[in-house]
Amino acid sequence: MKINKIILSFISAIAILLSTSVVSFAKVVGDKIVLGAAISLTGKYSSNGVHTQNGYNLAVERINSMGGVKVGGKTYKFEIIYYDDESNPKRAAQLAERLISQDGVEFMLGPYSSGLTKAIAPVTEKYGVPMVEANGASRSLFTKGYKYLFAVLAPANLYLDVAIETAVELNGGKPVRIAQAFEQDAFSQDVRLGILDAAKRTGSEIIIDDKLPKELNDMAATLVKVKQMKPDVLVVSGHTKGALTAIRQIAEMKVDVPMLAMTHCDAAKLSKQHGKNSQYALCASQWHKSLTYKDKFFGTGMKYAKDFEKQFKYDPPYQSAESSAALLVFKDAFERANSFDKKKVRDALAATNMQTFYGNIKFAEGGQNVDKPMVLFQVICDGSGKCENKVVAPLKWASAKLVHPIPKWSER
Amino acid sequence: MNKNFILYALILTFGIAAPFIFPAFKVQLSILCVLIILAITWNIQGGEMGYNSFGNILFYGLGMYLCASVQVGMFFPLAEWTESGGEKTFVHTPSQFFQGMAAGLVVAAIIPTIVAGLIGYAILGLRGHYFAICTLGLGVAAGEISGGIEIIGAGQGFTTPPFPNVGGLEARGEFFYLLSFVALVLTFIVVRGVYSTRFRLILNAIRDNEDKAEAMGIQTMKYKIIGWMISAFFCGLAGGIMGGLVGYIDSTDVAFDGREMGVFMVLMAILGGKGTLWGPVIGATVFHIFKEGFWTFFLGWQYVALGVLIVVIVIYFPEGIMGWLREKYPERFGEVVDEADRKAQVELK
Repeated sequence: MKINKIILSFISAIAILLSTSVVSFAKVVGDKIVLGAAISLTGKYSSNGVHTQNGYNLAVERINSMGGVKVGGKTYKFEIIYYDDESNPKRAAQLAERLISQDGVEFMLGPYSSGLTKAIAPVTEKYGVPMVEANGASRSLFTKGYKYLFAVLAPANLYLDVAIETAVELNGGKPVRIAQAFEQDAFSQDVRLGILDAAKRTGSEIIIDDKLPKELNDMAATLVKVKQMKPDVLVVSGHTKGALTAIRQIAEMKVDVPMLAMTHCDAAKLSKQHGKNSQYALCASQWHKSLTYKDKFFGTGMKYAKDFEKQFKYDPPYQSAESSAALLVFKDAFERANSFDKKKVRDALAATNMQTFYGNIKFAEGGQNVDKPMVLFQVICDGSGKCENKVVAPLKWASAKLVHPIPKWSER
Repeated sequence: MNKNFILYALILTFGIAAPFIFPAFKVQLSILCVLIILAITWNIQGGEMGYNSFGNILFYGLGMYLCASVQVGMFFPLAEWTESGGEKTFVHTPSQFFQGMAAGLVVAAIIPTIVAGLIGYAILGLRGHYFAICTLGLGVAAGEISGGIEIIGAGQGFTTPPFPNVGGLEARGEFFYLLSFVALVLTFIVVRGVYSTRFRLILNAIRDNEDKAEAMGIQTMKYKIIGWMISAFFCGLAGGIMGGLVGYIDSTDVAFDGREMGVFMVLMAILGGKGTLWGPVIGATVFHIFKEGFWTFFLGWQYVALGVLIVVIVIYFPEGIMGWLREKYPERFGEVVDEADRKAQVELK
């Protein structure tokens, strides 16, 4: 049996290959603090993955150029190792293992989307690696008792329940009829739970409750029902693609609905891509550039938006802003811990209480940020057809009045 | 025989020692074992029987959901576990975890086998492209359906029970590696055993000419179904292990992942050489190494690199690595080569 020889040589080749490829970076090399991140550079979340990465990169550059991180009297600079998780939870979990056990990363930044964060969190938790994440909002992330997970954003169920409450208020306190369509993924389903809660609270009725497939590019079936049943509010959530599909088809089918509430309008660049068709869409956002928070690295939201646009040629969606904020949180925690011990950094993170351009950050027991409300903005166009996102709630920051009900297509 | 024994002993030792020699690669090695199982089982249909199945992912995903559901459901109310994406958390004690896993894996292997029998009875009458397309539909449908079933988490996904706090940091990796390695060895032994009987010849007869095989009195349907049930058994087992390893089950991205796993199992078997016992093993290993390499060095372009690899495979190694070796060194595969005849052929050219 000569074939044995072939197989044997084959196995030894693998053995050699594996043994030579064990390269270990330490968490802190020279004057660098190495952070690890699995980001969706390809697949269904690729556009938001890039927003996240841009946010991280901008903050790394900014912090490094403004003196870096001072720990134990020495100055360190941030560096991030990226991998592409392909928008796939299986891949993300694998990459987290890899970042920690092969690349020796001891501090992690979050991926994009709740589903992927759900896949990564058990791994970071197991190794006791602190992870500051900026894009996993599903509330089940914060009820698992994770000790090393910190999210700079508000949980997903708080995204749109304000919209329902506003609708009820504008309806003279009477319950409204809600139509909703959500993508089949962890984040959108959590937004749905928030709506269900709000509906229960206000006694509103849900008359359409559709589930949309991932890789969403058609929701005509839902919209036909909306046309027939004439709900007071239409809620749609399905990441960037969901927002784009909804606006495209609502305009095509001339669907009239008094209130259209969505997520991811700014990530989808709706006001740019769809112009007037996207007018009056009401969007939940973690951040808006016009908010009045500030810090010493990015200044105000307006300044952040300008710097961001200069470098990446588009208006920063909140996904980028929150990602940048994650780095500020890490820097702050390292300096307060004055150590690179994972446990100490973790404790410092838990005690975070700071203001960034993105908002106040203070973590609850479960790791979610409880010090920052959501904002709602509406896409408003001026006479020349130039559309902008204007904050309409909460009133403290409102720069425009909510247009309600949305004018009919025949009257536009 | 003697040499064979040494070879197997060596591989076994290597397999058991691997996680201790390369501790950083435990997860990749576990995934490699799962990939090999998938390639070996796909080869029963695609290689030996000539039925290109894209539906084996159905059994893999089914096994994954079943294993996790049993593991949770044995001790806690499953609906509460998955409700709101697992908002309530119950903690398994170590003995609960391992008992649940064991029972889960048994169910994960047996139910898909039964399902394969039932579905097989219905669709194995289809041949060629019709069978391929039909099975492709099975995987897609299963993904969409499971994404709507609330009790297994629907679109929220299903977080599998976290590994209990026993042993050190490395315990989880070692446990899952050994589990997947044992499953791999089991698969290999069973498939090898099956291939050494008349069964393999019947499968080959079906591949080469199903009508003739039937005319010779072989009940082809029976053997096709049994073949598929064997595949389903081990696919389900592999799925169950993978679910625990990943820790989070998503209907279309992790469980019924026809776009990745479903295609990979076909590619791996073809790369190694379909219709051979060792081909899928070698194919899966080479594929996994290339894939991990691409994913590291061609960040963002990994799928392009993978695409190029597939094109190269199809053009230069249409018969796979084993097929290529066999053509090059036929005598090493125990084929008798008449040197004089070979020379005569060369001279004729």
